[in-house]
Amino acid sequence: MTSTTANLPATGAGLALRKSEGQWAIVLRRFRRHRLAMISLFVLLVIFIASLLAPVLAPFARDATGLAPRFSPPLTTNPQTGTLHFLGTDHVGRDFFTRLLYAARITLSVAFAVATASTLLGMTLGALAGYFRGIVDSIVMRVLEFMASIPDFPILLIIASILITDPKLLPYPPVLLQLVGGLMLLNPVGIEREQVLTMIVVLTLFGWTGSARLMRGMVLSVRERDFIESARSLGASNTRIILRHVVPNAFPPLVVAYTLSLAGALTAETALSFLGVGITDPTPTWGNMLQFATNFMLTNPWVPLIPGIPVVLCSLGFNFIGDGLRDALDPRLKM
Amino acid sequence: MLNYLLRRFVLIIAMAFIISFASFTLLYSAPGGPLEQLASLQSTTRRPDPDEIERIMKRYDLDLDIGIRFLRWLIGHPRGAITINGQDIAPTFQIGCLKPGKAQLVYPDGRIEEINCAKPVYLRDLNGRPVSNGVVALDFGRSQQLAREQPVSNLINTRLGHTLLLMGVSTFLAIAIAIPIGVYSAVKQYSRFDYFFTTIAFFGSGMPTLFTGVMGILLFALIFKGLGLPYLPAGLAESNRDVTIPIFGLIRAGSVADRIWHLILPVSVLTFFSLAGWTRFIRSSMLEVLRQDYVRTARAKGLIERVVIMKHALRNALIPFVTLLAGVLPTLFGGAIITESVFSWPGIGKLFINSLTASDYPVAIAYLLISTFLTLVGFLLSDVLYTIVDPRIRMT
Repeated sequence: MTSTTANLPATGAGLALRKSEGQWAIVLRRFRRHRLAMISLFVLLVIFIASLLAPVLAPFARDATGLAPRFSPPLTTNPQTGTLHFLGTDHVGRDFFTRLLYAARITLSVAFAVATASTLLGMTLGALAGYFRGIVDSIVMRVLEFMASIPDFPILLIIASILITDPKLLPYPPVLLQLVGGLMLLNPVGIEREQVLTMIVVLTLFGWTGSARLMRGMVLSVRERDFIESARSLGASNTRIILRHVVPNAFPPLVVAYTLSLAGALTAETALSFLGVGITDPTPTWGNMLQFATNFMLTNPWVPLIPGIPVVLCSLGFNFIGDGLRDALDPRLKM
Repeated sequence: MLNYLLRRFVLIIAMAFIISFASFTLLYSAPGGPLEQLASLQSTTRRPDPDEIERIMKRYDLDLDIGIRFLRWLIGHPRGAITINGQDIAPTFQIGCLKPGKAQLVYPDGRIEEINCAKPVYLRDLNGRPVSNGVVALDFGRSQQLAREQPVSNLINTRLGHTLLLMGVSTFLAIAIAIPIGVYSAVKQYSRFDYFFTTIAFFGSGMPTLFTGVMGILLFALIFKGLGLPYLPAGLAESNRDVTIPIFGLIRAGSVADRIWHLILPVSVLTFFSLAGWTRFIRSSMLEVLRQDYVRTARAKGLIERVVIMKHALRNALIPFVTLLAGVLPTLFGGAIITESVFSWPGIGKLFINSLTASDYPVAIAYLLISTFLTLVGFLLSDVLYTIVDPRIRMT
């Protein structure tokens, strides 16, 4: 843990070779050296900002059909409004560029929601299990073992296919529905919001194990250290010890795991929507756009590229950023 | 050792039981299925016919309680009234309800009982009702939607060969390519070769097979065909009719050449994807071993580098390799669901996803149960193999 000691001010002794930098400054400096990670960060930022500005940038309404002939090639002018279809139109004449932007918003939001929720859940359970040991630990460990020894993708598909066909099965609080709907600009009528929320819940259920295991291991290795004991002897509460002393120590690997779980959540959502057990048309996601695209690719070969390229850019991007962070956060890798 | 194996085996059975019961309950309480399909069919033209509904409910055991239904699925019993010495035991034991509603039972002695079922089903009603031999006898029942009334095992059998071929070839290729690359990358750590292949491997694992598959079809099947180059088929496992491709000439439908021709693209996609994991594993395992004292000793006593690498390092680096084989076993059977879907490969993974979208639950459960069983057996197998290849580890 050399990086934590770097946080201390360089007190005299003339040991500091250069002006003392904070831990995050070092991390940032190292991260900037990872060229692919920097490129990925830039590309992802562009996609992210574009998705945030979707309602501004989109030239058409999300589900507006019949504006132009189906499968108009890119850069066709709309015969009615005179607006340009940057990427052409899809199989029912909806504007591809518009749908791609809205899909980016939905797909990325789902990925962030799943990664955040599952990391938080895993962190909490892992920290509790590692810190308190005993019954909590054995329950969490049994569940982890159980999850590790089942074929998770088929089960994920089964659960998704059941819940997605009837998303009203789960009682969601209206606040949550409004939050998700507002964030992803979903249609409040129909089952769109429920479906997206179900997707988040299902993927979170299967996504928390990694960070739980990581957190538990970190807590186990940290809890016996002297500084925890001194904190306790100073009268710090369990909550304070976990939040102020244990979690920061487990932070570097968790940040990496979080970035990689973004990639995992994104590809999982895309795969489910592609296989038809995820978010379904007319709610656009890159996965279901790709599904329709493959159905028509024999006659319109450019079509699968439109949702395909953002998928692969984001998947690779998150992976590279995770890799860059791993290099930057690992103090053993002196460059 | 024997004790350990027995304990593990009991655990596997218990686990498979839990999984099967959970998935059975889950799937049969889910919407969809034959009844709903009938309702949606009939509601458009006429009101649902009660007789038809009852017939379907009886046919698929939908009128029975979930426990009884699970038992009939698991062991093929009960099959009707239980008879001992010609005497029926509890023939009027209620095991389900054909039609919900209020009803009154009038007993011969004048007692009246109110029950919450208009048409209760009793044990004796099961007499003569068709039933499978039960999952324990490897009879997974009959398909409800995909292939009406065909045994699920038939459906699986016809597709198993395709999946085994696809997964077997791609797994073998991935390992066969990964070992030399991983070893060389480790020996020449931080060399240009190492960077190149580590980056390639990173791309391979970062790109979803969904994308590489679709792009592969786009490039090699569509664009190559358009350009008059020797192209590859866009899907399926064999052609329906003879095809002539540029340069290579005629390919007869169903011939060995035809099968190989269809195999190239999906196998490449899968190999490219899984190559990364294998390479990274071998590389790190090899790096770990190269740092060991016995490797230094081997070098110090003057062995040539090739012997040090191949005999002293590689053999030890491959020890943890057997733990990964645990993951291979279930995928050999289960196939790659996404890749098979992209290439319309007639394998088990495609069957599973079809069964889910068509709500054909017996097929889906059979798939899940076999995968679970194989996953657990794979873990056991890799543990056992580990003790065989590494005598330092003992099972307790």
